[in-house]
Amino acid sequence: MKKILAMILAGGKGERLHPLTRDRAKPSVPFGGAYRIIDFTISNCINSDIRKVYILTQYKSLSLDRHIQRAWNALNGRFGEFVYIIHAQQRVNENWYKGTADAIYQNFYTLQQEKPDLVMVLSGDHIYKMDYREMVEQHIKKKADLTIATMEMDKQFSKDFGIVQISKTGQVKGFQEKPIKPVTIPGKPDSILINMGIYIFNTDVLVKRLIENARKPDSQHDFGKNVIPSMLKTDRVFAYSFNDKQTSQSGYWRDVGTIEAYYDANMDLLEENPQSNLFDNNWPIFTSEKQSAQAKVCGFEQKDGQLYGVMLDSIISRGCLINRAHIEHSILSPNIRVGQYSVIQDSILLDNVTIGKNCKIKRAIIDKGVIVSDGTEIGFNPKKDAQKGTISDTGIVVIPKNTVF
Amino acid sequence: MSVKILVVDDEENLRFLYERELLDEGYEIILARDGRECLDMVEQHAPDLIILDIRMPRMDGLEAIGKIIEINKHIPIIINSAYSTYKDDFMSWAADAYVVKSYDLDSLKSTIRDVLEKKHLKK
Repeated sequence: MKKILAMILAGGKGERLHPLTRDRAKPSVPFGGAYRIIDFTISNCINSDIRKVYILTQYKSLSLDRHIQRAWNALNGRFGEFVYIIHAQQRVNENWYKGTADAIYQNFYTLQQEKPDLVMVLSGDHIYKMDYREMVEQHIKKKADLTIATMEMDKQFSKDFGIVQISKTGQVKGFQEKPIKPVTIPGKPDSILINMGIYIFNTDVLVKRLIENARKPDSQHDFGKNVIPSMLKTDRVFAYSFNDKQTSQSGYWRDVGTIEAYYDANMDLLEENPQSNLFDNNWPIFTSEKQSAQAKVCGFEQKDGQLYGVMLDSIISRGCLINRAHIEHSILSPNIRVGQYSVIQDSILLDNVTIGKNCKIKRAIIDKGVIVSDGTEIGFNPKKDAQKGTISDTGIVVIPKNTVF
Repeated sequence: MSVKILVVDDEENLRFLYERELLDEGYEIILARDGRECLDMVEQHAPDLIILDIRMPRMDGLEAIGKIIEINKHIPIIINSAYSTYKDDFMSWAADAYVVKSYDLDSLKSTIRDVLEKKHLKK
């Protein structure tokens, strides 16, 4: 069996997710109730029997650090299994990570200690469930130096992704970074193959190419922009196609880099049969468990044509107490209080939020610890909303952590 | 203009030997005793090539490599160590060549010529 080490890149600033990333790194942003974004990637590793996992951080890492401590110190280091965080250490030189490739380069020492056969380079800010073992299998079978996970997508989205061109055998022949006019899949003029930012490298090839890249003066030291395009000339680079085995359609994968994408991926969970099913015993998504009372919804009542004391199409986490309120198509993280005759629709409430009585909240993301006083409306008047928080391009109101009003 | 070579080694006798032999080859030679002095010399004197020992006090050669590249990405580096074991160290792969030390300097001299030639070709 090949020895595999996973390195999860968690060092991006996540500026497009502001203000959710004001106090935390993007992978540490809460998701789907009780989870953090990074739990998906780490769970994929564990479920795929990859149990040597390093997480590379650099900005605002306290929140992520705490989460990894609480949720992921379950592996036994004595048997060579671990989920460890490595903060930027300035070990190789005195810079912060200049790009995704530089982050790995600056951690050569760690690679050296582990000496894996293969290195999986993963991103800490994607929502997806994927069995990496299949990708590893293909990597070995094709005798590849690098395997890139890809998925089919409509060509209209090309300007948001790296586009991969492949030959009949699946070898990667070309690379376009966020093109307006993408090269489409042969025989499928409306589809493109996108780079999911999930890579398997042979360790020696990775090391060589990262060194070459480190010595290039005008490089941005990024895998997608620099290292991989230049590898197409020198190495065996293959695409792995990420399909849902039941439907043989493209699998579910979301880069939750913007408020819109984050909101949509959360809302996807509320569908009746979501592709991102969290109730899959074969592929559990793990997170930290804190003690609290169970969720409770009470005080059913019908008043002025509205039902109260009910929850519809929603996720409700432990420790929530919903008293005579109306919750519809929303996600409630742990320990939320919602007061009487308040109506919450199409919203995401993060941990420890308190909503008073007679509040109306629609299409909002309310960050941890926010206290909303009685009678407040959010999501109805953009002018008033702008005073309370940030409004995204499509009008989603985001209330920053610990705001009190 | 002659080629300026920076020789980094903590053993005084060896520095002296390399200096004498390489001067005979027509190179200009500057010297450093460890990784830290090496970095100062790279910054101040912009050598054309570095001959780098690995086991040195204060800062060893492997640590120095990453920092040298940060100062000058193009500078060729030849590792010159008494041990071949450092070939397994990933940082040593960043050097252009790896020579195992010997008192006969022929192998080092021919490596210098090769590396300089390659550098010229790249230009």
